[in-house]
Amino acid sequence: MIRVGSKEFREVWLADFEFTALPGERPDPVCLVAWEMGSGRRLQVWRDELLEMRRPPYSIAQDSLFVCFYASAEMSCHLSLGWPMPMNVLDLYAEFRNLTNGLTLPSGNGLLGALIWFGLGGIEAAEKETMRNLVLRGGPWTPQERTAILEYCKSDVKSLSKLLVKMVPNLDIDRALLRGRYMEAAARIEDQGIPIDTVALNKLRRHWDGIQDHLIGKIDIEYQVFERRIFKVDRFTDWLVKSSIPWPRLDTGRLDLTEDTFREMARIHPRVSLLHELRVALSQMRLSDLVVGRDGRNRCMLSAFRSRTGRNQPSNSKFVFGPSVWLRGLIRPEPDCGLAYIDWAQQEFGIAAALSEDPCMIEAYESGDPYLAFAKHAKAVPPDASKETHPSEREQFKACVLAVQYGMGEKSLACRIHQSIPYARELLRLHRETYPKFWRWSNGIVDYAMVHGKLWTTFGWNVHISQGANPRFLQNFPMQANGSEMLRIACFRGTEQGIKICAPVHDAILIEAPCDELEEKISATQKVMADASAIVLNGFRLRSEAKIVRYPERYMDERGLKMWQTVWSIIEDLHPSSSNELTSLEPERLCNFSCAESHTRSILLYT
Amino acid sequence: MSDGNGQKPQIQEGVSEDMELPEEDGFDLGRLRLSQDFHNLAGVKKALMTIPVRRPDRQDFVRVRSGEGWYLETVVLEDSVDRETYLVDPLLRSELVGEVIPKVLYTTINRQGILFLWPIRLPGEDGRLNDWSKSALEAAEMAKTRWIRLIANRALGAYDVYNPVGNLPEPEWPGVSFQEVIRIAFRDKLISRMDHPVLRRLRGAT
Repeated sequence: MIRVGSKEFREVWLADFEFTALPGERPDPVCLVAWEMGSGRRLQVWRDELLEMRRPPYSIAQDSLFVCFYASAEMSCHLSLGWPMPMNVLDLYAEFRNLTNGLTLPSGNGLLGALIWFGLGGIEAAEKETMRNLVLRGGPWTPQERTAILEYCKSDVKSLSKLLVKMVPNLDIDRALLRGRYMEAAARIEDQGIPIDTVALNKLRRHWDGIQDHLIGKIDIEYQVFERRIFKVDRFTDWLVKSSIPWPRLDTGRLDLTEDTFREMARIHPRVSLLHELRVALSQMRLSDLVVGRDGRNRCMLSAFRSRTGRNQPSNSKFVFGPSVWLRGLIRPEPDCGLAYIDWAQQEFGIAAALSEDPCMIEAYESGDPYLAFAKHAKAVPPDASKETHPSEREQFKACVLAVQYGMGEKSLACRIHQSIPYARELLRLHRETYPKFWRWSNGIVDYAMVHGKLWTTFGWNVHISQGANPRFLQNFPMQANGSEMLRIACFRGTEQGIKICAPVHDAILIEAPCDELEEKISATQKVMADASAIVLNGFRLRSEAKIVRYPERYMDERGLKMWQTVWSIIEDLHPSSSNELTSLEPERLCNFSCAESHTRSILLYT
Repeated sequence: MSDGNGQKPQIQEGVSEDMELPEEDGFDLGRLRLSQDFHNLAGVKKALMTIPVRRPDRQDFVRVRSGEGWYLETVVLEDSVDRETYLVDPLLRSELVGEVIPKVLYTTINRQGILFLWPIRLPGEDGRLNDWSKSALEAAEMAKTRWIRLIANRALGAYDVYNPVGNLPEPEWPGVSFQEVIRIAFRDKLISRMDHPVLRRLRGAT
C-alpha cells in the first residue's frame, strides 16, 4: 500500500495525455503516459491503441489513486475515449493553486511554475512550447515526431512524480479528492457544452462588422455620448447630470469608467444598461472568439479554481456567459429539449446567515424575503408589510443588504439608493443593530486574516492574505468562496447522478434535458443544490429558483433584451429577410413554474 | 492544511441534531467541514479604552446591567466648565460638602454596544429628590429587564420612557469587571487630593 497524506492506496497512477483540441471541440487524444508509483510499472500508449481500448490501462478502482496536473483535461480524454472516470483523482494543479492562492508566483501556476516553486528542474519553457505546438499541429506525425511527443509526455509524468513527492507533506488528501471530483465534473460539463443557435450566430458574425456604426447611431440617440466610434467622457458627464444619475469617481476626481463600475451602475440604473452593452460590444466582444463546436455547442475550458475565491474563471470572450449579456440570446435548446437555469436564491445572504449563526439573519432568510424581513426587524415597516404594500422601503433595505455584502460604505450606498449620506448611514446602522452576531463574525474574519495571514472555506480552499489586503475582499471571502464550494459539490453530485449540466454560472447551474424529462431533472438538480448547501452550511438549506426555456424558445437575460432587439432590427433593416424569426422577440408568454424547495417565480420566455 | 501558526484549523465534529444532512455516497462530507468561526479563532479581543459617564442619548435604546456588583452609589463632582464628572475620594468628601453630589452610577449599554456609566442623582441629606431624578431612577430600574429610550419632557419636568414595540435581542456585555469599568471611566477623572487642578480652579486658585 502507498500512503498519500492520511490515506493509503493499493496503486497510485501518475498520468498525462497529449491531445489536440480544436476550438469548441472535444479533445482528441494523441498519446498517454502513465506510471505506477508502487510497482514502477510504466505505460506509454499511442492514439491508435488508445482508440481500441474500452477501459483505461490502469486501475481506476476505489483503492487506486489517479494523479495528474489539470485533471479536467485528462478526464476529458477519458470521456472522448468512452472510458469510465477514476474513483479517486488528485489534481496537483488544484492543490498547487490551493497551496499558493493569494501569493505572487514568479513563474505562474502551470506545471513549470509549480516545479520552479519547489526548486525542481523540468523541461524548459521554450522546449515545452515547441512540443506542445507539434502536438497541436495535428497528425500525421513522423516516427521521429511520435517518439519526441511520447518523450515529452513522459517528461511531464516524471515532473509530476517529483511534484507529488514535494507536495504530499502539505496535502489535505480528503479535501483534495473532493477538488479532484469536481475536476471530473468540470470535464463532463465541458463535454456537454451549451447549445447555441448557430444559424443566428453565423448571421451575426456575417453582419457584425457592418452594423457597428448603425448600432451606435441607433442606441446613441438616447445618450448622445459617441463621436463616431469614440466614447466622449464630457458628453457622458452631461448625460449623467441631465439624467440625475450620480456616478462613482476615482480618487483623481474623474469618472470611474471601468467595466466593473459600468456593470454595477447598469444594475442599479437600468437606463445605463443599453449603453453598457454597447460599450462592451464595441470594445471587448469579438464574435469570432466565441468557441462553438461543429455540434453547435459552446465549449470552452471552465478554468476551475482560477479565481482567488476558487470560482471558475472561463474566458470572457470564449464563454457565452461572458460580459455581453445580450449574446446569451444565442443559447437555444435543441429540438425536443429544454434548458433550466437554476440559481440559489439570495445565496450570499443565506451563507452569511448560516455561517455567522445570527438568529435574526437566519429568520430573515427563512422568511423567503430577507430584504423585507430586515425592514421589519428594523421596525421600518409594519409586521404585515409586503412587497406590494412597501416596495420602495423594501428596495432600500435590499440595497443596504447588498451594500453590506459588497462592503460598500455610506457614500456608495447613498449614491445607489438616491438618498442622502445620513440616510444611508442610518440604514447601515440599522443593519449593524439588527444583525450584531453577523457583524461580530464578519469583523472576526478581518481580524483573523490580518493576524494569521490566511482564510479558508468549509472544505479547505485557502487564501493567503498580504498586508495590504482589501477588507472588503476579506469580509466577502467566506460568502464567495463557500458559494464556490457549494457549486462544486452540486456539480459533481449532479453530474454523477446523470444530470446534464451545460455550465456552472457563478451561483447558478444551467442544465439540459429532453422536454418530457425536464421538470424531473429540475427537481433532481434543486435537491442536489439544496443538499450541497446543507453540506457546506452544516444543515442549513438554501432555496433555488428555476428559469425554464423549451425549444423553440431561446434563453434571454432581461438585461440584454433591448440590445438583442436593436441588433436584429438593424440587421433586418440592412438585410431584409436575413433575421426573420429572430426579430420578433417580444415576451411571448409568462410561464409559472413551481418546484419543491423553490419559490414560484414568473419566467419570461422569448422565441 | 494549517493556519498561519502552523496549527490545524478546527474541524466541526458532527452536526446539530435538528439539522439534516444529505447522505453522501462514499464520502462523509460533513466530517470534512472546517470551522468558519473566525471570530473565536482570531483570538482578537476589543480593548475597552474609553467609558463615558453620561446620560443616555435621547435617540439611544439602552439597557442597564442588573445585579449587585454592577452599580456604585457614590459622590461625584460635576464640572460645568468642561462638562466632566469626577469621582471623589471618600476621604475628601467631608471637605467638599456642598460641592459634591450623591449619585448612583449604573453600568449601561446602547444598541451599538457602547458601554457607559449612567449617573443619576440620589436624595441628599434632606431626603428630597426632584422629578427628573425620580423618573430617571425608575427608568434605570425598568432598563434592567428591557430596552428603553429616555426623552426629557420639559413640560412635565421629568423623563418620558419609551419601549420598543417588538422584542430586541438581549445586550452582549463586554467581558470586563465592574472595577475595571470604574477604573477606565475615571482613569484621569479621580479627585484624590485637595490640590487637584479642578478643585483649585473652582476655588479661584491659579
